[in-house]
Amino acid sequence: MNSHFLYPSAIFASKEPYQINTILGSCVAVCFWDPTIRVGGMCHYMLPFWNGEGLASPKYGNIAIEKLLEKMYDMGAKKLNIVAKVFGGGDVLETKNPQFFIGQRNIKLANEMLEELKIKIVSSSVGGKLGRKIIFHTHTGEVKQRYVNRQGEK
Amino acid sequence: MSELSDKELIDELKKRFETNKSALAEVQKLNKELQKVNKKLEDSESLKSHFISNITNEIINPFASILALSKNILSVEKENWKKVFSMVSLIYSEAFNLDFQLRNIFVAAKLEAGEIFPEIVNVDIKHLIENVIESFKYETKKKKLNVKLKFDIKTEGNKPFFFKTDSEKFRLIISNLLSNAVKYSYEGNDVIITVNQENKDLTLSIKDFGTGISEENQKIIFDRFKRIDSGINSVHRGHGLGLSINKALLDLLSGSIKIESEVEKGACFTINLPENVSQASGFAFDGNDMFFDDDKFLNGEGESF
Repeated sequence: MNSHFLYPSAIFASKEPYQINTILGSCVAVCFWDPTIRVGGMCHYMLPFWNGEGLASPKYGNIAIEKLLEKMYDMGAKKLNIVAKVFGGGDVLETKNPQFFIGQRNIKLANEMLEELKIKIVSSSVGGKLGRKIIFHTHTGEVKQRYVNRQGEK
Repeated sequence: MSELSDKELIDELKKRFETNKSALAEVQKLNKELQKVNKKLEDSESLKSHFISNITNEIINPFASILALSKNILSVEKENWKKVFSMVSLIYSEAFNLDFQLRNIFVAAKLEAGEIFPEIVNVDIKHLIENVIESFKYETKKKKLNVKLKFDIKTEGNKPFFFKTDSEKFRLIISNLLSNAVKYSYEGNDVIITVNQENKDLTLSIKDFGTGISEENQKIIFDRFKRIDSGINSVHRGHGLGLSINKALLDLLSGSIKIESEVEKGACFTINLPENVSQASGFAFDGNDMFFDDDKFLNGEGESF
């Protein structure tokens, strides 16, 4: 099967069956899946909001989720059918300053934005202290996850 | 509940007023920050719509010159063929600029769409930098600039120095920096490129002695479409994307960029790039390998969601 490694700040979606792999620390990955036409896509963002600095890239959650949803529509998905799975947002970096709880803020953004979009989160694994490896099968909508005990992700 | 004395009551009220006050101050502070971000986003949007009209000229003007020049060449008499040489070099220059601008625009579009990823190969760094300098030869000659390359990495037996990175993206980063240095230099200046290795990381700095960037402007130059001297009277061409692209590309390659500059004294941009950066944000292996070496994981072990 085709596989794609999703880098941080990137988006991938395909009509073909794909296996999308990624590694998450404090980043969050949102997977969208349309069970009726069996297509899916994933985004991997590092920070919650774009504040006007640099490029308006999917490094930021609010942009990434919006762009991924557009891609889903392009592939023929209907908003009513789309379901979401959310992963990541671990506090892999020890810190006491709440300003730097990036993982928490990333998770919060996903929850709030998906609620606003009225897209149901059917499963998720977020928070904690560990990093995660995940594999998303775009044709079955299934996600495999394993924890990794590694620091290093920002 | 025991009765409160008047004093206690007043103290309690005071305390509550204080907390209210500080909460209000907090809200006001947040509000201000929000307004600032909002303003920034608005600015960015208006710059974006401005960008379309801006870029139209950037694309149409070089094309118009290329067309006119080639037409002129076609009508040159045989005995005047020497004229052709200068026309061709003008065509080259315009085409080069156009190509460079378009490359930047497409990379920016890909970055904003999240459809870009590193392609790591072994790069002969010195050769690549010399190549970039060579490609700006016409521009540097026009301004009589002296581009010096100080390559301070020694290898055994003077073999070429190879470094694992994304050659196309690295080339664009260097080109953007060099293009800025050339653009903002005064005639006859030096431009100094220094390449070094620090704890396995590659450091490269490009120093010019041109107009420089004020401290205030240093904060905004990495924002998209920002050009310090934008406006009708601007003598410099460009789209204001170069540095924001550099920042995003370096993010992708886990590198960093910093700037030192003083107005009228020039600017020095230094980039730092770690090797073998194909790993996603700091994991020391190629993204694909880590999944394939992990048969159990692939064959369905691990939690399902």
